[in-house]
Amino acid sequence: MSPGTADILQMFKNPGLVLFLAWSDVRARYKRSVLGPFWITLSTAIGVVGLGFVWSELFKLERRTYIPMLTVGLVFWQFLSSSLTEASSVFVKQAGLIRNLNLPLSMHPAQLVLKQAINLAHNIPLFFLVVLCLGSPLNWNCLWVLPSLVLVSLNLFWMVLFLGILGARFRDLDYLISSVMPLLMFFTPVLYRPTALPYTALFIWLNPLAHMIEIVRQPLLGEAPPLMAVCGCLAMLVVGGSITLVLFNKKRNRIALWV
Amino acid sequence: MTALLRFENVTVQYPIYNSRAMSLRNQLVRISTGGRIESEAGHIQIVTALRDVSFEIKEGDAVGLIGHNGAGKSTMLRTMAGVYTPVSGTIAREGRIATVLDLGMGMDVELSGYENITRMLMLLGLKKSVIPEHIKEIEVFTQLGSFLELPVRTYSSGMATRLMFAVATSTRPDILLVDEVFGTGDAEFQVNAKKRMEELIRSVGIFVFASHSSDLVKAYCNRFFFFEHGQIHEISRDEIPVAE
Repeated sequence: MSPGTADILQMFKNPGLVLFLAWSDVRARYKRSVLGPFWITLSTAIGVVGLGFVWSELFKLERRTYIPMLTVGLVFWQFLSSSLTEASSVFVKQAGLIRNLNLPLSMHPAQLVLKQAINLAHNIPLFFLVVLCLGSPLNWNCLWVLPSLVLVSLNLFWMVLFLGILGARFRDLDYLISSVMPLLMFFTPVLYRPTALPYTALFIWLNPLAHMIEIVRQPLLGEAPPLMAVCGCLAMLVVGGSITLVLFNKKRNRIALWV
Repeated sequence: MTALLRFENVTVQYPIYNSRAMSLRNQLVRISTGGRIESEAGHIQIVTALRDVSFEIKEGDAVGLIGHNGAGKSTMLRTMAGVYTPVSGTIAREGRIATVLDLGMGMDVELSGYENITRMLMLLGLKKSVIPEHIKEIEVFTQLGSFLELPVRTYSSGMATRLMFAVATSTRPDILLVDEVFGTGDAEFQVNAKKRMEELIRSVGIFVFASHSSDLVKAYCNRFFFFEHGQIHEISRDEIPVAE
């Protein structure tokens, strides 16, 4: 079996270890500060209040629909962007482990995505708080967010693995990604809905992150996930996943020498 | 299960990149200029750390690896552990492998001593159910007492070493690979560490030890591999060069 495929299968054989490590990463964060990951929740909350009130007035949008939409956008953007920003150093930071133990390498990207998912779970209540405060509607379509989230996480996993491999070889990728991320935020429908753009909506769908945001946002706002985003996410998973697997198979044994 | 470690014509190479070769920007410039600024982008050097190495280590063998700095001892240990993959040749391993290479890998200084023990033991492949007994044993050996409840960040370097050493040596593998770990901590700890190491060595099937100290190697090993330019020669006890 190719080294990359074998590596991923071995990682899935021991999901408890990955979960434990992700959880202990979050705990370490709690140790550093009393609020731990809730600091992000707090800053997201400030962003929601600030942006929400100003922008809804500026764009002349109904607060009851705009603010929940903005909250979901910001919360999930946090999830995507922090995973991708840390992605390029995912192997480099674990150099100590990689050079000493024969563990599956794919567990590091999985651990990173899981850690960010736990952080996401800290942020989600913010959305329900907003909905409660503003009395916005909420219905059963909301539950679609769970399968959507699985799809988004799987996509994130290959993205992190892909960037991690490149980042282990090219150390300046780290700076590139962190400088591109803020720009990417404006090309991703975080602060607005793609439908709000009359001319450039088509271009927005060229951005993979747009699909990943929309597929989770629509359900939380009470609609079924948009077909466009579902197809987009599935296609990305197949195409991106395959490309990453080919790359991982080719370079898996090199990573220990690179870090 | 009897432990076994067999190398057949194993060659390990690794690339060495300079800072330019590790830059994506430089690589893109190189491609876009058709390689005309090639020398600017820095070239990659390939180092052959092990060249066509064959040997067999069986149950009961304690092998000492001797050689100068950079002769390939650490690369050999990492290749045995499966961290480095050879470019050619085959390796057969039987038995569970544990390494004591760099102490303290996988440690998070913000977490408490106890949490770090669990974390590192999980990484070493132990099941969660057997961890409590290991913790008890580590408590006794390290004598850190209530310090184990504090973040490792607050430890003195000697205390951290004690903890790391205790964790690394608390599993009972079939094959043990060790890279020079003695000579840390205070005198009392050194005596205890030596005792613990000797117990561990007696309990494993195969022991491989890389060291500069010919005395230590002579004390623990019964076979000796001498490294030179990526190749190994098995030598007898009397042929070991005197300590540098």
